Order: sequence, then structure tokens, then C-alpha cells
Amino acid sequence: MGDQNTDVIQGTLDMVILKTLSLEPMHGFGIGRRVEQISRGVFKMNPGSLLTALQRLERAGWLDSEWRQTENSRRAKFYRLTRSGKKQLENETADWTRRASAIARLLKAEG
Amino acid sequence: MSLWCQLAYGLRKLMHRSSHDRDVADEVEQYFEDATAAWVARGLTSEEARRAVRLEAGNMTLARERANSYGWENAVTNLMADVRFSSRQLWKHPAFTLTATLTLALGIGANTAIFTVVQSVLLAPLPYRNADRLIALDTHWTNNGKTTPRVTGPDAADARDQARSLEAVSLYYGGNLGVELRNHSAYTEVTLADANFWRVFDLQPIAGRLFTAADEHGAALVSEQFARDNFGSAQAALGQVLHVESDPLQITGVLPSGFNFPGKTQVWESRPLREPALDNRTAFNYKAVGLIRSGISFQSAQAELDSLSQRLQTAYPNEDRNKQLIAQPLQEALTGDARPTLLLLWSTVGFILLIACVNVTHLQLVRSMERQREIAIRKALGSSRAQVMQPVIIESLLVSLIGGAAGVLFAFPAVRMLVVMAPKELPRADEISLNGEVLAFTLVLAVLTALISSILPALRAAKVDPAEALKNDTSRGISNRGTGRLRDGLVIAEVAATFVLAMGAGLLLHTMTALMARDMGYETNQLLVVDADDPANSEVDAHRAVQQFNDLFARLSATPGVEHAAGIMGLPTGLYGSNGYYTFTGAGPVNISHSPYADFSVASPGYFQTMGIPIRRGRDITAQDTFESPFVVVISESVAKQAFGKADPLGKQIQCGLDSDKWMTVVGVVGDVRQDSPAQKPGPTLYMPMTQHPFYANQIHIVLRTAVKPLTLLNTVQETIAQVNPAIATRYTTMDAMVNQSIAVQRFRAVLISSFAGVGLLLAMLGVYGTMAYSVAQRTFEIGIRMAFGAKKAVILRSILEHAAKLACSGIAVGLVLSLMLARLVTGMLVGVSPMDPFSLCVAALMLLLTALVAAFAPSWKATHVDPMKALRAE
Repeated sequence: MGDQNTDVIQGTLDMVILKTLSLEPMHGFGIGRRVEQISRGVFKMNPGSLLTALQRLERAGWLDSEWRQTENSRRAKFYRLTRSGKKQLENETADWTRRASAIARLLKAEG
Repeated sequence: MSLWCQLAYGLRKLMHRSSHDRDVADEVEQYFEDATAAWVARGLTSEEARRAVRLEAGNMTLARERANSYGWENAVTNLMADVRFSSRQLWKHPAFTLTATLTLALGIGANTAIFTVVQSVLLAPLPYRNADRLIALDTHWTNNGKTTPRVTGPDAADARDQARSLEAVSLYYGGNLGVELRNHSAYTEVTLADANFWRVFDLQPIAGRLFTAADEHGAALVSEQFARDNFGSAQAALGQVLHVESDPLQITGVLPSGFNFPGKTQVWESRPLREPALDNRTAFNYKAVGLIRSGISFQSAQAELDSLSQRLQTAYPNEDRNKQLIAQPLQEALTGDARPTLLLLWSTVGFILLIACVNVTHLQLVRSMERQREIAIRKALGSSRAQVMQPVIIESLLVSLIGGAAGVLFAFPAVRMLVVMAPKELPRADEISLNGEVLAFTLVLAVLTALISSILPALRAAKVDPAEALKNDTSRGISNRGTGRLRDGLVIAEVAATFVLAMGAGLLLHTMTALMARDMGYETNQLLVVDADDPANSEVDAHRAVQQFNDLFARLSATPGVEHAAGIMGLPTGLYGSNGYYTFTGAGPVNISHSPYADFSVASPGYFQTMGIPIRRGRDITAQDTFESPFVVVISESVAKQAFGKADPLGKQIQCGLDSDKWMTVVGVVGDVRQDSPAQKPGPTLYMPMTQHPFYANQIHIVLRTAVKPLTLLNTVQETIAQVNPAIATRYTTMDAMVNQSIAVQRFRAVLISSFAGVGLLLAMLGVYGTMAYSVAQRTFEIGIRMAFGAKKAVILRSILEHAAKLACSGIAVGLVLSLMLARLVTGMLVGVSPMDPFSLCVAALMLLLTALVAAFAPSWKATHVDPMKALRAE
């Protein structure tokens, strides 16, 4: 994979995190791993950006967090989508779909 | 919601910093462990897994830092760190901190003190209910644009009865009257008002009841203070009887303390809504206050008064010609006269603060130059522009906040002193106090000061080029030229601002000396003045009072130490007096718009001799001029000129509207006097005998020309008066004190502005000293070299002094231009001095030049004592 760009597309980080958390509550690394798995390694998450984004989303009221025990009985901070987070995800998804299909149409256009 | 979350999270993080840090650290650590575990699960050794994670996710510390730096509270944390750093810096530079703080304390303190007065007097609403709806009714003359702050009874009564936009209108008048209680009589502020007065002010008594229209005469309300002083308590005062001008009044109620409108009224006497005297539309005997109906604007109330005035002008074409009733917000009516003085003081302290700011800017500049290396290193290590500017601004903010706090402490005694010094005429003086609004103003001022004084140094800090600054060794005097010019500019600005202050002070002081040196037209020294009020309200009584006074004058003249004694109603600068139009033989019928105007005085024989007013022609009033004999009048020179021109006035006839329409024969001509204050021109006065005008002769001033210090005779005179009639209320002063009092406003202004100019000079001196000392210190190396090559001490001394003089002269030139522009601000306050008075100008310029040279002398002296060897060796 070497020098392939694995950054999450700019402006979509929030949506990606919200989407991932809409499946089930997760802790930081879980989110990162899930994104990587589902995107089949196209996107990888940097812990610094991820944790900062989580703080931001939590403060925006879209996420809730609590400290829980993991499977291997360690303390970890688990994040859960709130109702307004769900709404936000819907909005962002709709917006993204609209724009992505527009890009797709533009790229398909033939002269 | 989200904003609230931001705030709550941020605050929680600030409060529980360490636990929050631990949480973030835990989370990051957990992340890395999970990642490592994931690799191990795929079959790597733990060593390899860790490396893989580092490759993929980067450094753990960095991730933690990044996760930690999210949120607004981090800016707060950084700020706090800067504040701590700055306070340590300030602590380590006590000379700078102390000078800057004290300078600002002076500037901010002066501003706080003056603003306290401005706020309490001009800005704060009046302490009455519905203060914003209270108005004063005035009479405006449409032909000459002048406004008389009084009304005639019928005009105001028409406004009261007809103006729908006014809820209530009350007519009142009054003044300092003798009030007799059971065993003594004392001068008291008495207001005679109709029953509407209480509707206007919407007031309830703390004891008893208000007087109503049914009371008409004979009822009085007193202030709580008066009740307590004279009867012990508010309850005890109810039903008591006091006499005002021998009218018996029964106290029906006591008003809460805090209400003493108008002026310092203590007793309110009831008057009927319609008095016989109401019938004259040319006698401005009343003042009037009104309350605008709630919900009606001031403009529409005025519009209604305009149309009412139109109707009155049509209905009474003679008496009400050119007359217009105007409403003036009561606050404005009360404080209007004080406004120019207070605004002048306010702008003056503004200048002081400006000078203080310039001083602190300069101090900051010097400091930031010393800090160039530190700033350069910060920049080299990657600090941004804002990060370099922040500590400079924070330091300045700290200094001005401390300065502001010190200033407030300093303002407390300053305000008290101001109130003591303030002339009696200053309205609402008892309401002056430092309050929340003033403190808010001071805070804003301190922050503004900090920004103004730190903007230049901060910008310079931002401009520092690390490469250049680290090479540049300021201790060798190899500094860039820009800073020198900037500091010179500051000195020029400072000198200019101070010049404006000094010029203002010079003008006002010159006015004062001109006023004090003025010939009043009479001799003011060695003159004891007794305010005497002999209660009389019937014709018989009035004649009795005059007779008694005449006896008294004779007995007083015979008292050892007294040279002459006489009585006068209409003493210059005195309480009582009258004025109006007069007519004379050959002048035709009275025509208000053309008749000559004069002050009316009523005097006893010997008055001119006692006062030292020269008798130019004819004779004095004598004991032979009685009520029964032909009426006579003595006129002042201006009257003679006004009425008779070059013709001989003796034997001519004059008629005036004082109290009778009898023609009076001119029997003498005396010199003019300045009636109200030295600021006034000597004017026309008619002097009439007390015996012929007894109704104007029971409230008089007794004047005694003494051979000894006037006040030493106080007891003797009081005993004599008490022997003649103990009911006469008395009060003692001297003519000198009265004349002094009459220019109290001018003195207040002159003294304050001069002290401010003094403070300005002090600050300017500090500023010039600082600049010169700094540039000499910087040039020590250069001076050392020059001395080593044989430069003479005198040359070096001169070069530095010349530089200072040049700066001072530029500053004076700029200040001169500024003064020219601001001159019209003070023109109205100057008497006998032009706004470009060459004397004041020279004094101000000389003072500043001297200040600059004195301030520059110490540093230049030091420069000439530079030891070349040491200077060159110093590193």
C-alpha cells in the first residue's frame, strides 16, 4: 500500500464516525478498525484525529460516552450515537449522496 | 444546546484538568494497546507489533497532545500561562512595573473621579419617581432667542389647565427665608408651592399627610432632616406651628429624606392654585414643573405647548408678544449650567490619560527592546505573530488593571475632595458617589488604556526579525533608526497634549487673577455683612421694621470698631435684589421692548459711604426722605448716561415698577458697581430709600465698615440686634467672602484644570526623562568612543539638551495648533482674556521647555561622566 493516500476524505470524517457508531457502541480503536475493515483498507484512521473528532462530536451532542470494561477486562471509553447524532447522520448522508452522485455524473459525462 | 455543551465540557475540563488529562491519556494508551494486540493476533511478535503500530498510527505522545489540545479551554489555559509568565516578568522588573502602574493609577484615578461627578450629576436619572417625564416650564422669547427659566402665573396656569399632554403642572417659588420656631429663627430654604407639586413628583409623606388644594394657606410640609433637627422626630413635628415671614404655618406632614427639590428645600409652604398675583402676564414670579402624561413623548408635549403659546399670543397680543412656553427635561434644567464645566473637566482628564498612555507606551517600548532577544528566540522556535504579541498585550493589561484598581482607590478621596471644593451652585452635589457604573467605566477605560499603550510595542514585537535581532546588539547602540524616531514622536505627542492642558490652565488662571483684581465699584475689604430678615407682613409691620432697622444702624454705628453701618436690599453678590424696566421724564409711555433696564436697590442713608461707592453728584439718601415726603432716587452713572445722556440728571423724574408708580426725583448720582460678580460689567442701578419702599426693606443686608477684622465683631453685633428685635433672623459673612463666593465656579475650574496641568507636566517630565535616559544609556558606547577621541563634555551635554529642546519645541508647536482648534471650548469661560492670550501662551511654552530641559538634564549629565574605558569595555 506504501504511498497510497489512506486519509479519510476531507469533510467526511464526522459522517464516517457517526455511521460506524450507528451499528453499535464502540471505543476508539474499535471505530478505527471497523472503518479500515469496511473500507477494505482504503481509509485508515490516525488516533490523534480520531480522538479529537470524537471529542468534537461529543460536545456537539451527537455522541454519548461512558467508561466500560472491554472483553479483555480493561477500562475503555465507549461511544454511542445519540438521537440528534442519528439525525445528523441522516442529514450528512443525504448531503453526501447528493454530492457524490453529482460528481459521478460529472465524471461519466462524455463530450 | 451545543453551545451549552461546549461551555460545560470546557469548564469541566478546566476544573478537573488532571483527571481529564488522565482520561485522554488512558484512551490513547488503550487505543495503542488495542492496535498492538490486533497485530499480535495476526501473528506478529509484540516487538514487531509495536513497531507496526508506530508506523501506522505515529507517536503516542503526539496523538495525546493532539487529542488534548481540542477545545476553547486550551486557549484559556494558554492565556493563564501567559498571565503567570507576565506577572513574573512584572515582578522581576519593579521599576518598570511601579512607574507604569503609578502613571496609569494617576490617569485612571483622575478619570474615575471626574467621571463619578459627571455620571452622578449629568448622566444618572434624577432621584425622583418618573424622572424621565419631569419637565421644567420656561419662557422662550422668539424675537431674541433667549430663554427665561421662569414663567408668569397666568401663562403657566393656562398650560396647567389646557395642556392635555401634561398630567400635572405646579407653580412654585421661594428661597432662603427666615423661619421662626418657638425660641429662635433661622434661615431655611423655603419653597412656596401649590398642591399640584405632589402630583408632579408623585410623593408620599413618611408621616402625616400632604397639603391639598383645600389647605390654601397655612399648611406646611417639612423634610425629615428638618423635623429631626427641630422637633426630634417626624411624628413629633406633626401639628407643630412655625412662622415663615410671620405667616403661621402648621406642619401637616413630613417628607422622606432624599427629597429636597428645589435646591435644598426643607420647608414647603402651601399656596393656593390661584393667587391674586397670578393675574400679571409680565411678572415672571414663578418657576414651574410638570409631569408629562405617561406614554406621551416629550416632542408631542412640546408641540401642544407650541400651539398653546400661539393661542396665548393671539389672546394677549400685548403681554404675550413673542412669548413661547417651552418644556425642558427637568434633569437638563437642573444641571445645564454645570454641563460646560464638567465637560471641560472631563476632556481635561481625557488628556491626562492620553499623556499617561503615551508614557506607558514608551516604557513598554523600552521593555520590548530589552526583550528583543527573547522575542527573537521565541520566533526562531516557531511562535506565531499572535503568540509573540499576546504576552506584550497581557503584560500591558495587567499593568493597567492594577493601575485601574489603584486609580479607584485614589478616586475615593479625590471625589470627596471634589465635592468639598465644588461651588455651591453645583447641582446634585449630595448625590455624587462612586457606583457600579463608574467602576464599569473604569474597567473599560483600563482595558482601552492597555490596548492603546500596547498596540505599538506589540506590533513592533511582531515585526522582530529573529535573524536580525539576534545579530543586533542593542547595548552597543547599534539599533535601528525607526525606534528612535518612534520614541521622539511619543515625546512630541506628550508635550503637545501637556501644552494644551497648560494653556487651558493658563487661560483660566489668568481669568481668575483678572477677576480678583477687578474694581468692583466699592471697597470689599473690612466689610461685615449681616443677612437680616425681620418678619413683617402688614403695612404697619413693614414701617415698624424699617424704623427698627434705622435705630439698629444708629446703634451699630456707635459700636466700637464699627466706622459706618447701613442697610441695603440689593447688595452686590447678595441674596436679595430686584430689577426691571424704568422710565423717565421725556421718555414717553412705557414700552417694554424699548425701556431701559436697571437693577433696583433699596438703601438706608449712609449706604454709599459704608460701601465706599463714590457719590459723583448731588446727595445721599437722608433721614429726611420719609414715606410721606416726595419720593427720591439716587442713580448710578450708567443710568444717568442711559436715560439723560449729557443732560444734568439732578431734578429729573424716574418711575420704576418696583412697588409703586410714584414718580421719583433724582437727587444724586453715584458710581456703577458690578452687581452679581466680578465677571459682570458695571451696570445701571437705581437706589431708593428704605423708608419709601418698606415692603422691600424687611429682608436686607446690614453692611458694617469696620476698623478691625470684620468677624471679630460678630458677637457684639448679634447682641445689639437681639436687643432691638430677637425675631430678626441673622447670618454673618464678609463682603470679601461674598465676592469670592461669586466667582467660585471660575475658581473651581481654574484650580482643577491647573492641578491637572500640573499632573500633566509631571507625567511629561517623566516621559522626557525616560526617553532621554534610555537614549543616553543606549548611546553610552558611542559617547565613550567620542570621548575617547577627545570630544568635549560641553559638546555632548549640549547635543543631548538640544535634542530634548528640539523635541519640546516640536511638541509645543503641535500643541499650539491643537489649542487653537480647541480654543472655542473655553471661550465662554474666559473673562477679560482672549483665547489666544499671549501671556498664557508664553507661560505654557516656557513651562514645557523648562520641564523638558530639566528632565533631560540628569541623563545628559550622566552622559558627560561616561568613562570611555568602562564604556568601551562594557559588554
